[in-house]
Amino acid sequence: MNLPFSLALSSPWVLFALPLMLLPLLVSLQRRQGYPSLMDVAPDSISRGVDIALHTAGVVAIGALLAGIGGLYLKGQTVERVGEGAHVVLLLDRSSSMDDTFAGSRPGEGEASKSAAARDLLRDFVTRRPHDRFGVAAFSTMPMHVLPITSHKDAVLGAVDAIARPGLAYTNVGLGLSLALSMQEMDPTPASRAIVLVSDGAGVIDRRVQEKLRAQIAKRPINLYWLYIRTAGAPGIFDPPGADVPDTPQALPERHLNLFFQSLKVPYRAFEAENPQAVADAITEIDKLERNPIRYQERIPERPLSAWAYAIAVAALLPLLLAKLFEVRLEGSAVRTTSVAPDARRAEPARKLQEAA
Amino acid sequence: MIRPALKDVRMWLTAGALLLALVALFVPRIPLQRNAYDVLAIVDITTSMNTRDVPSGTEKVSRLDAVKSALRDTLAKLPCGSRLGLGFFTERRSFLLFDPVEVCENFAPVDEAIAFLDWRMAWEGDSYVSKGLFSAIDLAGSLKADLLFITDGHELPPLPFSGVGPFEGKPGDVGGLIVGVGSHKRSPLLKYDDDGREIGTYAQQDVPQENRSGPPPPDAASRPGYHPKWAPFGNAVVNNKEHLAVVREEYLQKLASLTGLTYTYLASPRDLVQPLSAAGHARNLTVATNVSAVPGTLALVLLVLVYVLGVLDRRRPLIAILPSTRSQGAY
Repeated sequence: MNLPFSLALSSPWVLFALPLMLLPLLVSLQRRQGYPSLMDVAPDSISRGVDIALHTAGVVAIGALLAGIGGLYLKGQTVERVGEGAHVVLLLDRSSSMDDTFAGSRPGEGEASKSAAARDLLRDFVTRRPHDRFGVAAFSTMPMHVLPITSHKDAVLGAVDAIARPGLAYTNVGLGLSLALSMQEMDPTPASRAIVLVSDGAGVIDRRVQEKLRAQIAKRPINLYWLYIRTAGAPGIFDPPGADVPDTPQALPERHLNLFFQSLKVPYRAFEAENPQAVADAITEIDKLERNPIRYQERIPERPLSAWAYAIAVAALLPLLLAKLFEVRLEGSAVRTTSVAPDARRAEPARKLQEAA
Repeated sequence: MIRPALKDVRMWLTAGALLLALVALFVPRIPLQRNAYDVLAIVDITTSMNTRDVPSGTEKVSRLDAVKSALRDTLAKLPCGSRLGLGFFTERRSFLLFDPVEVCENFAPVDEAIAFLDWRMAWEGDSYVSKGLFSAIDLAGSLKADLLFITDGHELPPLPFSGVGPFEGKPGDVGGLIVGVGSHKRSPLLKYDDDGREIGTYAQQDVPQENRSGPPPPDAASRPGYHPKWAPFGNAVVNNKEHLAVVREEYLQKLASLTGLTYTYLASPRDLVQPLSAAGHARNLTVATNVSAVPGTLALVLLVLVYVLGVLDRRRPLIAILPSTRSQGAY
């Protein structure tokens, strides 16, 4: 429920009770008492003021109680600040080879799989960069949209945790990258952008997909990082091809993916990590490079105001109670008027006024 | 003499309202127990889920769309402190997208992640529902979450004659729901080309109608064209209507009883919190709750009563009073 001035109610149904605030205006707090005539009572502004004040206090008391019950609060606001950071899409390889160790075998007791090592370091990376917004995409045979670009770190960590789960068959980098790029396209802010590709292998990127990627990157330039988690004995991305190996994408997919990334004409860095320490170094390096000014939103949490509302209610109820306590009851000590002579009735107020003067 | 105000009910009501407002002002937050749920939602994204046969308002939406909108409603209705993880099922296993995260704090990204679930994420077209369910139960168990497995129960290829494979977990260890979705009326499976465009429907001969791996059925000898070596399943053309999509409720109920989950049917998009709270393992969450609304409401009731009695006061016949006598008893 929204109210102006960024006030809000947590239980807006109290607004249905709002007409109750009219009650004090229609009904007097004091007991109605008979008085023969008010003709002779001079209008005095203090009484008038007290009367208005009591009616108003009643309205305020009911309104403040309603606000207190309804849980009035000042809405959380987002303020824009400038800091250092970027909008980063983590593009995570979920192929089953990530479940093996750096030596390329099934992880035994006390050994970390590549995905577990990557998970711990990515967690660290995500928590270390407070102003970044992260999106998560995964790929194996098909690209998978995991989380949109968001500033909610918990959700991002949840997605990073999931990469330690058993993966799937293939490594379809091309479509994964295309998905990551389209996630960056969907985000309209003018922030510095990066894609961090974490994979332990590469695949051949289809010609058509290559064209599509070039078009996407031309539309929206990004910084590209490839964290290649290298298994022992696997071909490196920077190694020149051996004499007996044909230099084709099919034979050396990692090398050719690197060449393709270099040909994209965007800032690109590749890191080859052969052990958890090297992965950590690479992440520190990315952390250092992605230090551009960024406008980021910071949320100011909501502030409950119901205590204030109750305080106001108390402040308004106090004069009401005082008014009730000092209320004069004429009837209790009164003599029935019917037996009184009309001239005496008229004389009395005059005498009173004289005394007062 | 007694102060006349003390005999006035409305004075006492005003005093009570003031007292209760003070209580509301100073009452501390009270720790209350509340239920929260840890849920892993696994959505079937196989081809049969694209069938548009779930009524939603005046139109029919695809099963997957119905599931997504039901999940988003569920996400919105889950009490704060609950956690929701998301994954999907295709081929023979369930795939985790993200671990359960708190639903209120992370509402926006989780909501969007559900909206982005798509059949194109599937890496293969097969749909071994029982295997997917078992792997989902494993996943949920390791995450200590309840399972919300949403499927239409369409096994493709069909189950072998030996039936469902063995369930290795302990029934009831993981609580939660199997949610069946889809119409009870058969409709053809939709067919897509390599680029994901819809290009018609599957015909009877496009889809395996029975599973001929594993041992043949015991009554195979009575099948037409049976030969123990060359045709152990017979040679007749079988039509088990496997190319038609329909929610397999009996099968899902059987799986539910096998795994200790609860089966429920999703007729149209709605939130699943109510059946989930019945079938899941609620986690007790101690929340410092603001209870000031209770004395606050009572204060309001008393104050309103003061004025309502004032309305009644108007009906009272008035007695005119001799002003001269006021001097003795007045305050």
